[in-house]
Amino acid sequence: MMRSARQTLIRTFTALTVGAWMTTASAQAMDISPAITVGTQEFGLTAGYLFSHRLTDLHTTKQHGPALMPSWMMTITDPIGDSWYRGQVSLGAEMVYLEFREPLLTHGVGFTPRIKYMFVALGRLRPYAEFAGGPFWTDLGGRIEEQANQFNFVLTGGVGVSWFFTSQASFNIGYRFHHISNAGTAFPNLGLNASLPFGGFSFFF
Amino acid sequence: MMMYIFRWSVLSLAGFVMWVTTGCTRWIDVKPPSASSQEALTYSLPGNERVPLVIDTFHTTKNGAPQHPSPEAERRILNSVQVTSLFSTLIPLGRKSDVLGKKIVSARITVDEAIEPHSGLSALKGMLIGGSMFLLSPFIKLEYDYAARVGLELERWDGYIKRYESRSSGTVHYKLFGATPVMIDELKRHVTEACLADLTGQLVRDAKFYMGSSASVPATGIRTVTVRANRPPTTSLSLSIVPIASASPQ
Repeated sequence: MMRSARQTLIRTFTALTVGAWMTTASAQAMDISPAITVGTQEFGLTAGYLFSHRLTDLHTTKQHGPALMPSWMMTITDPIGDSWYRGQVSLGAEMVYLEFREPLLTHGVGFTPRIKYMFVALGRLRPYAEFAGGPFWTDLGGRIEEQANQFNFVLTGGVGVSWFFTSQASFNIGYRFHHISNAGTAFPNLGLNASLPFGGFSFFF
Repeated sequence: MMMYIFRWSVLSLAGFVMWVTTGCTRWIDVKPPSASSQEALTYSLPGNERVPLVIDTFHTTKNGAPQHPSPEAERRILNSVQVTSLFSTLIPLGRKSDVLGKKIVSARITVDEAIEPHSGLSALKGMLIGGSMFLLSPFIKLEYDYAARVGLELERWDGYIKRYESRSSGTVHYKLFGATPVMIDELKRHVTEACLADLTGQLVRDAKFYMGSSASVPATGIRTVTVRANRPPTTSLSLSIVPIASASPQ
């Protein structure tokens, strides 16, 4: 059942990649200038892979696995600043789904408010920095030495770059540092840390 | 027990609906330019008294920085002037017409826009809303200000100049889920329309000033032509003023 769902996800992501690539080819001749203003909404689908970091000797779990992160965002400012740091702030929310393949095949689901600062000085190539955090449930909790319970929080921050292949759609790649812990609501609470390189698409309207 | 669940379900649903609807609200406040803009915007001029209006220059600035004037903005201004029925023809910027005659009114337009999106405050409020898991979104109001000053300088065919100016400003207040790019356009449209309504009101009050019979074509222009033309006397001066004979001075 889970394998079927995973295959569906992989197929969907592949179809989106191919579709975007084909769209890119036809968009090369156009003058792409993303018109993102206050109130512009963004729907995104991002996928990546989680690689664990054991930051202390007490960390033993080598959790890793794929991640899927659909998101919604709203641009809340016009471009701020006049130099290279000129950019816009977006606020939104993200669902995060993680499948831990090690040490046990387990899953995690979270909901995180997300804030993003997107640099606009480079035209259609727009780097960004983002931060998100919120509640996270995983059945890995309680079955490993680092985390005692299933209800946790996830904090993530990272950088990425969006390349607009049309004025309303972009391809995104980036990196996030990923932290899971329970805010001291149960012990042990060593936290699970990981790197999450990702890629995906965003649609603006 | 069932009653208890039902009551809390209804209350939760009502709370959620109220949260969503409150979080999606937005409204626009536009300050009227002045109290004197309530007059009628049309003035019945006889057809043979109307003269053409030619756009001579059109300058726009945004927050003090010069901008390329948009054809849409010019069209909007011309449409507003058109409804006053004061002029026989409106000639946009850069257009030439050979059948204008000597009696024309030249217009110089300036539009200064001032935008204050409160970006820093919005970012701060955004962090608060995000930090509250969006629970505060119905209670935190975001704002976007826009102000416009439209100046219109009209020069009559005899060199007499009149200047008109109108200012208006407005603010769109919105909650996070009510934000949309359309609301900014709506705000700008409302403010611009308020400005233009006031401006055309001022113009109508001076309607008689632009009647073809209100002033004669100055003789100075004719003398200039005579001096410059190094031609035989067959190019009669009287021919050059024939096209405006219908709008003869009184």
